[in-house]
This record gives sequence, structure tokens and C-alpha cells, in this order.
Amino acid sequence: MKKTLNINIGNSIIYIEEDAYEMLTAYLNEVKHYFSRNADDFEIVTDIENRIAEMFGEILREQQKQLISIFDVQAVIRQMGSVSDFESSENEGTGGSSTEDFGYPGHPGNTMKKLYRDSDHAMIAGVCSGLAHYLDLDVRWVRLVALFTVFIAGSGILAYVILWIMIPKAETRTEKMNMRGQETNLRGFANSHLEPWAMQSKSFLAEFFDVTGNFISGTGMAIFKAVAIFIIAAASFFLIGLFIAMVAFMGIWDADVANYFPFSVINQEYFTVLTVSAFLVGGIPLLALILFTVRVAFSNREVNKTLSFVLLIVWLAGLAPLIIYITKISSEFKEGAEFSQVSELQVYPHYTLIIDRTRFFSREDSLSYSIDAENYKGKRILADIDDEFKAPRNVSLWIEKSTGDRVSLVQNFRSRGKTFQNALKNVQAIHYDYLQKDSLVNFSPMVQLSKDARWRGQEVALTLKVPVGTRITLSTEFQRYMSGNIYWECAEQDRHFDYTELIMTEDGIKCRNEAVSDGAE
Amino acid sequence: MIAENTQTQMRKGILEYCVLLIISRGQIYASDIIAELKSARLLVVEGTLYPLLTRLKNNGLLSYHWVESTSGPPRKYYVLTQEGKAILHQLDATWQELVYAIETSKKVADNPSDNNTVKVDKP
Repeated sequence: MKKTLNINIGNSIIYIEEDAYEMLTAYLNEVKHYFSRNADDFEIVTDIENRIAEMFGEILREQQKQLISIFDVQAVIRQMGSVSDFESSENEGTGGSSTEDFGYPGHPGNTMKKLYRDSDHAMIAGVCSGLAHYLDLDVRWVRLVALFTVFIAGSGILAYVILWIMIPKAETRTEKMNMRGQETNLRGFANSHLEPWAMQSKSFLAEFFDVTGNFISGTGMAIFKAVAIFIIAAASFFLIGLFIAMVAFMGIWDADVANYFPFSVINQEYFTVLTVSAFLVGGIPLLALILFTVRVAFSNREVNKTLSFVLLIVWLAGLAPLIIYITKISSEFKEGAEFSQVSELQVYPHYTLIIDRTRFFSREDSLSYSIDAENYKGKRILADIDDEFKAPRNVSLWIEKSTGDRVSLVQNFRSRGKTFQNALKNVQAIHYDYLQKDSLVNFSPMVQLSKDARWRGQEVALTLKVPVGTRITLSTEFQRYMSGNIYWECAEQDRHFDYTELIMTEDGIKCRNEAVSDGAE
Repeated sequence: MIAENTQTQMRKGILEYCVLLIISRGQIYASDIIAELKSARLLVVEGTLYPLLTRLKNNGLLSYHWVESTSGPPRKYYVLTQEGKAILHQLDATWQELVYAIETSKKVADNPSDNNTVKVDKP
């Protein structure tokens, strides 16, 4: 049983067997290709096609059949002549280059061999047999050499895989003939039909590798595409996030962002430029990544050179101000300044120190939040120190022995600046509040800066000086504010979690438990 | 190689002449031209004829017209143009000259001793 086709050649409908059709198509393509050099190619090819159609008609009529077989096609082609037959009579007019091989009616071709993988005779993927065809060697020798190279640190395996990828498989009949160096004309086709390569059984290994190779290239592509989609999605997400951040920092969306660390470092006047620069420096690589991934995974179009250059230039244009301003801002941390302020506290034998989220209502607040101090009496503003990180820790506490009976609190304000004078100015911008209510001393969790003052490492170091024998209860928040490890040590001994007790001794501050046990000894 | 080359060149020139001669006897279809050439043992494959006919036609030596065929697609029938006839006339003269040249050469080759006494009628 054979498959048949229905073709229209020279305005006649012809029924033709599939293999005959293949041969006819190959022949006509060859003829078309040959005459494409000729100015009248269309007319000539039409004449030839018409004539072939007529010959088919004659064959069908004479032999009383319905179908053109491969033998009929061969007969017709024999009568019409192959391209090499045309060559010998078509060289006139060009001066007749007489040195050429003019074997009449045909000449044994000067055909070029091409390197293909011979999957029909393959052990694995047909690289060796393909090379054997190309080099005109027996495939056994090629395989032997290949096997030998495998033992040279396995380089043969790598070479094989590379060749497997690089060398195309001989799929069509023409490619197979090119691989063997046969002429792609009638005689070649005739031979190719006499020798049914496609029927040759492949080795089991070759079949196995064929199947796995198809599988890997199939799933590999799918996985690659999935990864590409993920990259594109992630990059797009970050890009959108970056854009929202830029809008936020530009003060369009939420004006308060500039007051949070680390953005509070940035001088107000640099802010817009820096935001745009940072957006470009961060966003353009993301955009480039998206474009690149899209191109690699989903289309083979060349990347637009102009676009790449524009992106590069814009990126550099964003990078330059970023570097300049970062340098400028870092220079404002060069000098340090400090001043201290000593305040007397009322004397009690036992102090309780707490850190309160209650913000002390300052003059600065009334300005920055437009709150009328008079109407605000008795109300408190709560600072969400637990939820938000607005600045690095800038309050620290240490407890020392005082010389007399007095209790005092020393506040050391520190800051940095471009010059000493500058730093001192920044120190003066610090506001820190504490409140004594009998024996309860309430500390603010952080320093306040004047409105529009930038963060320049402002901090306050508090030193509480108390006489010997003074007991101090620290609330749990002090674990984060106490210098040294004293809170942790004592909390461990106390075994309760919301406060710890200390006592001032001649040797300095001690955990109360420890001091009591010392005294008992 | 030389022999083949010379043969090819000879055949090429004569093929055109013969085609013109065959067509000069009246309008004719391409496959009949081929049949005649084959009986003259000149042409081996048909495909060679079509480029030749097309070139002769484009040089104004031939023209053709379509004739409906009972057994297939319409056929191109070729005839000589006036120019073609004139050229054929020239070719006839050239052919006579060639025949003379060949015959003369052959006779000289046959009788190399008395090449002065040979007399051949000029065409």
C-alpha cells in the first residue's frame, strides 16, 4: 500500500505516488535552481513542466493506469535530462570556458561534501559516522579515535557533545547525499532509492540517545522558558517597586519618607536629583534584563544597538550624580563635635527608670505638626518606636557613682559634620527630653532633630550619677539602651522579665541580688 | 578531455542550426522537434531544448503561438521569423564553407604528397 498525492502540473491533474512525488519535486527544484541564473527562467521551467505533464498524460494513457509511479518519474526525468546534462549545452554565450569538464551527456560531479550527522548509521548521535563520510574514512577508525580521546581526561565526551550540538543532522535526501558527496541530481536520487537508508536499523544505543536527546531539548526548552518568564516577572515587579519608591521619595506620595533613616542622611536639596539618579541606576539594568530575557527566550530578533547605547548612556547619566552626591554627603561626616550638659535630679534612695513611648511634646513638635501648644495640654503623642525604625539607636545610658550625695544626669550630645563648626551646629539641633516625677525618671527613646536637620550621626550618651547605696529599677526597654551587658547579667539573676534591679556600691553599679549575697557573706 | 570539449562545441553549434532547419519546414511543436533531433541522433535529453528555444525566440529568430491540444495542455508551436530565415540563410552559407573546409582538410590529410594538385569545387 502506498500513499498517493494529487498534483497540478502544467494545468493537468495527476495522481502520483508519494515517493514519486518527492523525486519529482526534488527534480523540479533542481531545475528551477539551475535556470534561476537565466533571465527567462520562468518561461523555461513552465515549458519543462508542461512537457512533463504531457509525458505523464501519455504514460497514463499508454499503460492504461491511473497513477504515476516512481519508475515513470525516473523515465520522464531520464528523457528530460538532469541538470548536469543541461550544463554541458548551456555554457555557450559566456565564451565557452573550454577547460571545464564537459562530459556529455553527464559528468561525474564536482560536488561539495558537507558535514552532517548520519543518524541512520549512528551509535549515539551519528557524529562519528558523519565525520567518516566527510573524511572518506571507514567509520570504525573514526570511532576508535573517538573512543581513544575519551580516555584523554574525557575530552572526547565534551568534543562529542559540542559536535552533536554544532553539526546538523542529515534529514532530507539532499542533505544525505551531500553528506556522502553524491550528486544531488537524477542519478543521485536514483541511487538513493536503490539504497534504502531509512530502512537501516539503528543501534539500540543510538535510538536511546535519539529519544533522550529529543526529550532533553523539549523539556530543556520548556524549563528555560519557565525560568525566563520568572525572571521577566521578577524584574518587572522590582521595576514597578522602584518606580513607586521614586514617586514616594519625590514627595508626591508620602512626604514623610525623607525623615526616615537612611534617607534622612540625604540633604533636602539633593533629594530630587538623587532619587531620579538612583531610579535610573537601579531601573535600567532591570529593564535591560527584561528586554534581554524576552529576546533570548521568545524571539530571535537582533538586539537593537541604538536602544542598547541609549540605555547605557542614560544609566551612566544616572550614575554620575549619584556618585557625586554620595561623595558630598559622606564628606559631611568628617568632623565630630560634642558638648555635655549636666542637670541635677531630686534625690531619692530608689529610682525607677523607664523608657516611655510617650513623646514629650516639644516646641519642635508644635512647629512640625502644626499643633497649637495651648490646646494640646494634657494630651500625649505616642511614638511608635517598636514598629518603625526611624534612625539608628541614638540614646545610651550608663550609671556611675557620684562624688557627693547629689544625683545628676550628664547628657553628652554628639554629632558629625563637614567642619567642626558644622558638627557643632548639628549638635545644637539635637533635642532630648527626660522627665523626673518624684523617683520615677522617664526617658525619651530617641533624640529629636530640628525639622529639616539631616542625620549626621547625632546621638546622646546619658550618664546617671547616683551616690552609693542608691537602688535603681530598670524597665525592660533598657536592655536596648544600657551600655555594656549589665542589664542582661542582672536580668538573668533576677529571673523576671519586665524589670531588673541594680544597686550602686563602692565598686560601681552592681546587680542587686549579687550585692545582697555579697553583703550576706 | 580535449576531444570531449571539441565534440561538445561542435554539437552546440550544429544543434542550433538543426533546430532552425527543422522549424523552417513549418510550424512545429517542441516534442516533435525533439523527436526529429533524436532521429538525427543529435539530442540526448529534452531539457536542453527548452532553454535553446527560449533563447532563439528572445533573439527574434523564432516566434510561437499556442495551439489547443486534445491530449493535454495547450502546446507551443514554433515558426521562424523573417530574421530567423535570414540568419538561417547565412548559416547555410557558413555550413557550406565548413563542409568545404572539412573536405579540403580531409583530402589534404589523405594525400599529403600532392596537396598542390587537389581541386575542389567551391560552393
